Amino acid sequence: MAAPDRRAFLRDGALGAAALGLAPSRAPTWRRFQGPKTRRVLVVAFAGGVRTRETLGAAGNVPNLMRIAEQGVVFPRTRATNLGHFGATLSIFTGISEARGIRDNIRGTDPTLFEYLRKDLGWTSSDVWVSTSGGAQEANISHGLHPEYGPKYGANTLDGDGIFNAEFKGILDAYGRPREMGAQELALLEKMRASIGGTAKGALNDVDSVARVERFLLDELRRGTQDLKGLGAADAKAFRVARNLLAVFRPRFLAVVVREADQAHGSFNNYVQIVKRNDEMLGELWAAVQSDPELADSTALFVLPEFGRDADLNSRRGLDHGDGSDDLNYVSLVCWGPDFRRGVNVQEEVRTVDVCPTVCAMLGADARYSRGQRLPRLMA
Amino acid sequence: MPFALRDGLLAPVPPARGHVLDPGSLRRLFLDLLGRPPYPDESKVWSERERSELVAELLSSEEFWANWLEEQLYYFLLIDNFRPTTEGVRSIPAELAGGTLGVREALHRICLSSSFDRRNPGPDTFVTVVMEQLLGLVVQKSARELEIGKKLYDGKKGTFLGRAGSSQADVVHVAIADARTLEHLLQREHERLLRKQASAQELSAWVADLERDEHALRAILEAWFTSPAYDQRLATRAPLPNRLFVRALFVDLFGRLPDEGEAQRMRSALDGLADSGPLRSLVARLILDSGKAHVPERAAIDDPAAWIHGLFERLLGRAPSAEERGAFSKSFSDPACRPATVLYAIVSHPEYQTW
Repeated sequence: MAAPDRRAFLRDGALGAAALGLAPSRAPTWRRFQGPKTRRVLVVAFAGGVRTRETLGAAGNVPNLMRIAEQGVVFPRTRATNLGHFGATLSIFTGISEARGIRDNIRGTDPTLFEYLRKDLGWTSSDVWVSTSGGAQEANISHGLHPEYGPKYGANTLDGDGIFNAEFKGILDAYGRPREMGAQELALLEKMRASIGGTAKGALNDVDSVARVERFLLDELRRGTQDLKGLGAADAKAFRVARNLLAVFRPRFLAVVVREADQAHGSFNNYVQIVKRNDEMLGELWAAVQSDPELADSTALFVLPEFGRDADLNSRRGLDHGDGSDDLNYVSLVCWGPDFRRGVNVQEEVRTVDVCPTVCAMLGADARYSRGQRLPRLMA
Repeated sequence: MPFALRDGLLAPVPPARGHVLDPGSLRRLFLDLLGRPPYPDESKVWSERERSELVAELLSSEEFWANWLEEQLYYFLLIDNFRPTTEGVRSIPAELAGGTLGVREALHRICLSSSFDRRNPGPDTFVTVVMEQLLGLVVQKSARELEIGKKLYDGKKGTFLGRAGSSQADVVHVAIADARTLEHLLQREHERLLRKQASAQELSAWVADLERDEHALRAILEAWFTSPAYDQRLATRAPLPNRLFVRALFVDLFGRLPDEGEAQRMRSALDGLADSGPLRSLVARLILDSGKAHVPERAAIDDPAAWIHGLFERLLGRAPSAEERGAFSKSFSDPACRPATVLYAIVSHPEYQTW
């Protein structure tokens, strides 16, 4: 299919589906789920409240997402729920509609996608990462408090803007570089540490992982991520850190959670600029995947907002999220993967909570407490 | 002392000795009340005195209320770029300590600040946060009140939570006047400080006290900190929040508190990680290697065993076990082990990161 036709098809299909309220059809149509080529999954929560109108409905805003959509599977009628940014984003990763307070800074009670993957597949903490821009609240996505899962199966979650900023780097720079320890000093250090009480049972990272993450943080502080500035810089850092995590840890599951589009409350123009910048950064991340022979043929990608925004501008010429419109309640989910169909629009209604069980099934884990369903018509 | 560090779970430590404060209880009480461990001279003064004396003294201090305000701002996520900078909010600790302001009015000021408005933009978010964070309501179960609140926010008249109003400020006024605000405040403070929920009966009595006298919170807190329930809290450990970790690390290694910028940036960076352990470890190492921390020269340590014993008491709030004493003394006798290595072993250990 020629790109311009597909592009128009995507735009019209996405906006049309949102406007018409197509009747849902949940008939399972997949043939198999554990794709033979997919070994890694990348989920981008293009969040902060983003309407389809400003993404697939406005190709010029998101050329990179359009390119991926043209070659992948698009679900333009993906049902979201306005549960607040944190609750709605968490829902993507638990597969359960999570009613959470907007400013709740606590962990959920349901297991997450990361916990299913790590527990069922025996993956380490370095295999599963989340790169975010949402600050303290977003770190709670890492894992829930479900008694069968919990922190020892959580994802390493990192808010790039909180760590990689000039002010924090300035504080650390004032202390200078850490002194390199010789082998004998390291051995003595470990001996002393090991003698204190017990070990941190149930911690997310073991001793080796702590050392690797510490090294990554130190290197990342010197790579210049903190120099990303301007409108949408926090989101840009989340994408940049994700790219570097891919290079260093080669995670088998990586989520990027961005949130700055919520500036739409006060400025529609800023919102559009942030959507555009996030698309650029998505393009950079995707190019890194595609240029790496090992990743290119084995990585599947899912991109979706947690919910949309109101249909009409508010009195400040911004966009809130609370009118119950289809613009708010339906978003577009874009999927690309080596085992997925190509150039397909699926008009059936799906839900944001369907991503969790779909990813788990693809990789061989069981999202047993999720209430979502596997996405239909996805696999080739 | 073996213990398991688990997210959200408590693990046992030795019980406090009656009402006289041992090093561990003293450290935890200071962290609870002031958000920092005691300085060495404070430890010396208070180590053999009654807990009730210390509680009464600290609750009267501006430092206690400054820490209380920090906890409230963090609860509302009014941090980093959203931190209120107006004099009305900054003066809250001094006014609470001086008895010229009540807690209800303190919350009122926080929620009427422009930072609160910026943090919670738009009617849906603003009213939802007021209902959830101030009143402890589940908005999904109070959809009608949410819609009425949004109308008030937009300048229309309505009866929100049983009281008339017609503005965004009225949304806050009405919520603050509601007894559920005090109930929710007391419940979360009880959970934060005593690590358990209060009963409905207890809450109701404390709310009545506060309704009668809005300065009664100090007396309520004094009763909590001298109660058997607080004995139980002192006998438990839980993961140290990032804000308190930063403050404790500065007091323990620099002998001073971090300034506002240091505290904010470090807490924000640590909060950015689901497992802040690796960054805590890195920060501790940088501080210890900076040449600016209070680390004695090896030659100045006349009695290594006593020095190690003192470090355990000061940093972990307990004496070292025989095994720990042996491992540390033997390691320190090796020239490759610097005094900073010993300190690093302790402050990067999970036990240091509990309280």
